[in-house]
Amino acid sequence: MSQVKWQASGLQVHQASDVTSEHIALEADVVVVGSGAGGAVTAYELARMGKRVIVLEAGPYVPSQAFTEDFTESLHALYQDKGGQANSSGDLLVLQGACVGGSTVVNGCVCFRTPDFILQDWQRDFGLSELTEAELAPYFDEVEQNLSVHDNGEHEIARHGQVIRAGANKLGWSVKPLRRNIRQCGLTGHCLSGCKTERKQSMLVTYLPWAQAHGARIYSDTRVEKVVTEGGVASGVEAVVTRHDGTVAATMTVKAPRVVLAAGAVQTPVLLLKSGLANRSGLVGKNFACHPSLLVAGRYPEPIHPWRGAMLGVHVDEFMHPDKGGFILEDGGFGLVEMTMLAEPGTGKPFMEYMENARYLAGLVTLIHDHNVGAIEWDGERKAINYQLSDADFPSMKRAIKAAAKLHLASGATEVYVPASDKRVIRSEADIDLQVDSLENDPQHLRMVSYHPQGTCHMGADPDHSVVKANGETHDVPGLYVADASLLPTSIIVNPQITVYALATRIARHMS
Amino acid sequence: MNSQFQARQIKQIWQRGVARRQFLKWGLGGVAAATAIAAGGFALLRRSPHDELPTPDWVTGLSAAEYHLFDRARVVLLPVEGTPLVDSEAVPVVANVQTTLSYLDPATRKELGAGLSLFDNVVVFSHGCRFVDLEDAQARALFDRWGEGSVLQRTLTTVIKQLVYSAYWQEPATWPPTEFDGPVSEKWGLEYLGNAPMPQQPTIDVEQEQA
Repeated sequence: MSQVKWQASGLQVHQASDVTSEHIALEADVVVVGSGAGGAVTAYELARMGKRVIVLEAGPYVPSQAFTEDFTESLHALYQDKGGQANSSGDLLVLQGACVGGSTVVNGCVCFRTPDFILQDWQRDFGLSELTEAELAPYFDEVEQNLSVHDNGEHEIARHGQVIRAGANKLGWSVKPLRRNIRQCGLTGHCLSGCKTERKQSMLVTYLPWAQAHGARIYSDTRVEKVVTEGGVASGVEAVVTRHDGTVAATMTVKAPRVVLAAGAVQTPVLLLKSGLANRSGLVGKNFACHPSLLVAGRYPEPIHPWRGAMLGVHVDEFMHPDKGGFILEDGGFGLVEMTMLAEPGTGKPFMEYMENARYLAGLVTLIHDHNVGAIEWDGERKAINYQLSDADFPSMKRAIKAAAKLHLASGATEVYVPASDKRVIRSEADIDLQVDSLENDPQHLRMVSYHPQGTCHMGADPDHSVVKANGETHDVPGLYVADASLLPTSIIVNPQITVYALATRIARHMS
Repeated sequence: MNSQFQARQIKQIWQRGVARRQFLKWGLGGVAAATAIAAGGFALLRRSPHDELPTPDWVTGLSAAEYHLFDRARVVLLPVEGTPLVDSEAVPVVANVQTTLSYLDPATRKELGAGLSLFDNVVVFSHGCRFVDLEDAQARALFDRWGEGSVLQRTLTTVIKQLVYSAYWQEPATWPPTEFDGPVSEKWGLEYLGNAPMPQQPTIDVEQEQA
């Protein structure tokens, strides 16, 4: 067991600016690709067991003090593809963190356990008999405790959450405080730009420093290009260290008998496809789901200031079960730049009037239980996210919009803006069907965002119909593991970070 | 190349783009991405007085035509008369667009350039002049109509709008009239909490797990 050397703030990260040689050759017991939810947890668990762990992160190391709380700057500094990662049609933005700590740095802190009916689907349809609620509960308990997960207190429910809750109560819909991984929330509303004062319990201030305290080494600016095998068994990775100006600082090889891929549901399959590994089933990159989300805004008679207070306060779970609709609604704060993508209340004066009165808006985020119809592909030069909302899922999306509109109206909104490419404003219940039924499932019609890519290396018992086992190891390559949201066999409706933490903990314990 | 040939070519490009369902990408925060519309070397169908206008020295990542397109879109999309909002003339809108586009990979940037050229030129068929020469009201009506139009029309208008809107609203000078607070942690003097304490011994240990 290594000597524990925890530091009070920040991380010691090997960065491209530190590189002095053209090639770096390292050895470890485990090399972890990615430093987000799956990678950080795995690194900690294995390091504390005395394993020599190296974490490779393609993105930069941005310490909390450098966060600007400016959303546009944050997109460029902290997000994949500078915030521009989108599907091939360009109508679905796939937002993922690309920095040390990954998406956990830029998410909204929401923590849901995997719904039990989802686990039952996995057991029935994918042979994952051991992934029961009882089996996973201790892992959830542990990560929730480690990350200070708690129900939002009353002070953490901002004005926009309060009006939404009141509307839900009026309708008799189930509404609950969201659970979040945060300590002493500063109520800044800037979660998506990273938590500047280190209150969000992201990997940047939790599992990564803990892993480092147990001896794990972290390399940023380091993109893994290939997983290497010897005799069919994982033996390490090849990587490139790139300076922030885009020039190559060094090449890197890491020899390790255990390789853990935790680069997220887009990058992990890309890496496997580049490496030509673990794809006997032909399912690497397939089965992509992403909870395509809309932000439905309502305009209220009194100021709401949607950027003030905790970004996410309450959620409506009335329709969570697929039999009841298969979607949830979360009240969501936003700033001005985010607002520009919400609605089109006309060009020119109508739009500027809408923006001038931004303080009167409140938002609802819709999350739907989409089917896994997408695919991540690699053409030798560029990745492609091929995902189009399926016709089977479109009714869910419309039901979610209708419910959001009804809830806004019940909450006192005078106008609800449908996030479509054309002007669609709902002013009464009678408008809802009129404005929503005529929506078409065409590209570039709805303004969708995904925060939850999943499913591209999904777990299953059958090696011909899945990529990895329930313990995270790929069916095809001993020693090669996946520990991120790629694992999830189906979309889980709810924010997946806690599910990834729990599964990664379990995978690491089995590995050790 | 004569203008009749050019017109046929534009029409073909338009139809091909729609038929193949290949579209411009767009993004939150004004980060535009790809267009897969075919056709490089899309020549101008009609000259514009804007072609003779100089571009500022800082314009290094936009073609002259792109600069004039975005500057025209700025005027059309961001009117402030009669409001307390800040005049877009006082905000580096087009410079911010240029910065955003600089983050695109070269292939995507080239494709986007083709899309922008198409947007500027194709309205010659319906209006007899390029987008940059449309009257304000005509240009706004065009954006609204295209927002309800074909996939390609929706895509092009969405990309341009998103780029211009985010380029304007990202500027702190535009925030006070809306009461948007911007960054607050330093203003409020929030203390840094630092790294979280190390966890207690896990409740599930390896031996237990493997038993």
